[in-house]
Amino acid sequence: MTGVIQGGTEFVIAAYVVTALVLGGYTASVVARFRRARRGTPPR
Amino acid sequence: MAPPPSSAGKAPFFLALGVALLLWGSYWGLFLAPGERFMGEVQRIMYVHVPTAWNSMLVLTVSFVAALGFLFTNRWGYDHVLEASLEVGLVLGALLCVQGSIWAKPTWGVWWDWDPRLTSTAVLVFSVGGILALRAFVDDPVKRAVWSSVCTIVAYVDVPIVYFSVRWWNSLHQMQSTPQTVSSAFHWPLRINAFGVLFLWIGLVMLRARLAALRLQEETSVPEPVR
Repeated sequence: MTGVIQGGTEFVIAAYVVTALVLGGYTASVVARFRRARRGTPPR
Repeated sequence: MAPPPSSAGKAPFFLALGVALLLWGSYWGLFLAPGERFMGEVQRIMYVHVPTAWNSMLVLTVSFVAALGFLFTNRWGYDHVLEASLEVGLVLGALLCVQGSIWAKPTWGVWWDWDPRLTSTAVLVFSVGGILALRAFVDDPVKRAVWSSVCTIVAYVDVPIVYFSVRWWNSLHQMQSTPQTVSSAFHWPLRINAFGVLFLWIGLVMLRARLAALRLQEETSVPEPVR
């Protein structure tokens, strides 16, 4: 036991992937809803 | 003079700036910044987790101000910003909990702990979700705006509790980091990502508020007679 966390790269990748998916997905959803509303079709 | 609700205004600029800064800061944090002495590689999660935490509190502060603004002035612009900032706050708050959970597993050995910081954050996320659910159920725009403003002010009491929970109680979660407690090698990716998330949510709130304005316009417009 060294007191130092060994490895953990998979957790780092998971955190960045989740962040990209959530922020990217939500941004895409807002842009799509805004465009739909501007065209006059009811937003889903 | 404010642009019409159908115009995206400056939102695309803020969205693009936010994405560019996040890509730059994340590249720096993942590949250029050194690993931390005790946490090693896992500490790189800090570059997305801490900016998300700061900005989720900030965007909910915008909700609080918008709620007060609507109750004092009855101007619909505040209600649109309230709806937008609550939704963005919910997304950032939920993301914060997931990132924290991913960081907790290799450092604490558990995905979740009912520690004061984590519990108060979860309460905040569920409160914001509840307010948005309330907005979805109430048809009358005036009642919807007043009720959700009052609920937002009540829910906002939890924000300082989240912030100070690590000082007030024994917490598994570490204390707030300051420039004095974080090595200067970690400052830049942290700051760049913090501004990245900041500009991203500013763009999102602007666009989402316009969407709320368009929906209200549609809700309150008088139907045309059938010819």
